[in-house]
Amino acid sequence: MPKRFTPWLFLAPALFVYGLFLLYPMMASLAISFTNWDGIAQHRDFIGLANYRYILFEDPQSFRAVKNNVVWTLVTVCIPAAWGLILASILNSSIPNRTVFRAIFYSPSVLPLVAVALIWAWIYNPQFGILNVTLRALGLDSWTRGWLSGFNTALPATLVTAIWQGSGFPMLLYLAGLQGIPKEQYEAARLDGAGAVRTFFHITLPWLRETHIVVLSLAAMQSLRAFDLIYTMTYGGPGRSTHVLSTWMYFNLFQYRQAGLGSAIAWIIVVVSVLVTVPYIRMVARGRTR
Amino acid sequence: MKRLSPRYLLLILIAAIWLVPFAFVVLTALRAQRDLIAGGVFSLSGGLRLDNFATAWNIGRFGDLFRNSTLLILVKVPLGLLISSLAAYALATMRFRFNWLVLGILLMGLAVPVHVTLLPLATLLRDLGMNDNLFSLVPPYVALGIPFQTLVFAGFFRAMPRELFEAADLDGCSEFSKYWRIAMPLARPAWLTLAIIDIVGAWNELLVALVLIGSEKWQTVPLGLLQFQGQFASRYTIVMAAILIAIAPVMAIYIFFQKYLSTEMTSGALKE
Repeated sequence: MPKRFTPWLFLAPALFVYGLFLLYPMMASLAISFTNWDGIAQHRDFIGLANYRYILFEDPQSFRAVKNNVVWTLVTVCIPAAWGLILASILNSSIPNRTVFRAIFYSPSVLPLVAVALIWAWIYNPQFGILNVTLRALGLDSWTRGWLSGFNTALPATLVTAIWQGSGFPMLLYLAGLQGIPKEQYEAARLDGAGAVRTFFHITLPWLRETHIVVLSLAAMQSLRAFDLIYTMTYGGPGRSTHVLSTWMYFNLFQYRQAGLGSAIAWIIVVVSVLVTVPYIRMVARGRTR
Repeated sequence: MKRLSPRYLLLILIAAIWLVPFAFVVLTALRAQRDLIAGGVFSLSGGLRLDNFATAWNIGRFGDLFRNSTLLILVKVPLGLLISSLAAYALATMRFRFNWLVLGILLMGLAVPVHVTLLPLATLLRDLGMNDNLFSLVPPYVALGIPFQTLVFAGFFRAMPRELFEAADLDGCSEFSKYWRIAMPLARPAWLTLAIIDIVGAWNELLVALVLIGSEKWQTVPLGLLQFQGQFASRYTIVMAAILIAIAPVMAIYIFFQKYLSTEMTSGALKE
């Protein structure tokens, strides 16, 4: 057998599975997104970009999901990243039991999101959940409410859950990043008389540049895929007020029989997801040519 | 005894707050529903009991759920790692045309969310006669894992000293035996870490399973847990017991392999 076929023998299984079960369905759904297909009938018309226009400019319901997703992304990118960096900075010193603390803060990240969602739904339970019980014990009865059933509180309630669940991973990445900063940098800063704050902004933050890219890119990508928490905790409700792109896509594809519309939502997720992942992929690709 | 600094006490406080949800779940799961309703969550009236776990295990069909998720992992994880590492070996050690193109296409997969594949995937698997079957989850799970796993493996293979492979060439080793006998054993930290990430990921995955699995007998743990909550929503004590049952295996894996998850994974995500 000619030697030049050898690489392709090694690549064949991966390319086959990747092509058939990822690339092909992806392209098929792009085609569907340009139609008004319902997902079952034989009949479908090509309607161009009408689905995209409808989602982004015409349908308030869909736009609500877009808006919610922007909020969801901003919050779940910024807060877990900042919080993870704070935790990592604390844990990066010679603190006793640091592995125990690291394990505690990371543990929510390994749980199934369905379980995380059910745990927090129980915390938010109007009658018996600890949130309302604690508020009542503090005499703040007027603050108690059905957190997941209120229009103003449902989305924030899921965001708190996402922060609890999602801060561990940035913390780990920042811990690894902090350990890569040469000690001499800090000594030099100390000799120059720089305080803790200045050292943090002039040495720690710039040295973590690559870590920032990974943390922010991955968190933004995750935020576009957020499905489990919303689906389990609010099911898009109350009304349809807490849908994000992925749940709105799922409901259109599999419940409202709007395959064309659902596929267009899916492709909006893809496009934004590729955009936010580009910095990460570029960094990874640069790393291998270096 | 060392004196505790205020900063350390603050850290302990934050960690305690972080653990409150777990404590609340455990405390609920150990009570009788009647006592919980009567006394509230913070009282321990009526005492603690373990029978919620047996009840939840039985009525939640957790035997079946654990069997399905375990079977799925036993097929998916080794198969995915094999396929990815083969591709990574070619990309990292061989010179051939379109190497960069293949790499680029696989890298792009890091950004592709599973969402966009779901509807055509369901149709495709039905056409292949694999609809509503536990093993219909294997191909999409494997495909989704390929980009990241190939990337991590390729990084490991690339960092291996050339001389090892050249010596094997002189001995007349085939490419496959170089992959299997030299590269893979040396990449042990890579596949160990990827396997752990993969096991946890497959145990936790909801969306694909939700779309592809219809009948109860093939449900995985997250699907079963979701249905359990739907059926017994107001029986708080056994729902919390069910949650603890569902998360026990991943928690055990995490605690047991913590070292690998925290250090190796981060270096994997960062360096490659």
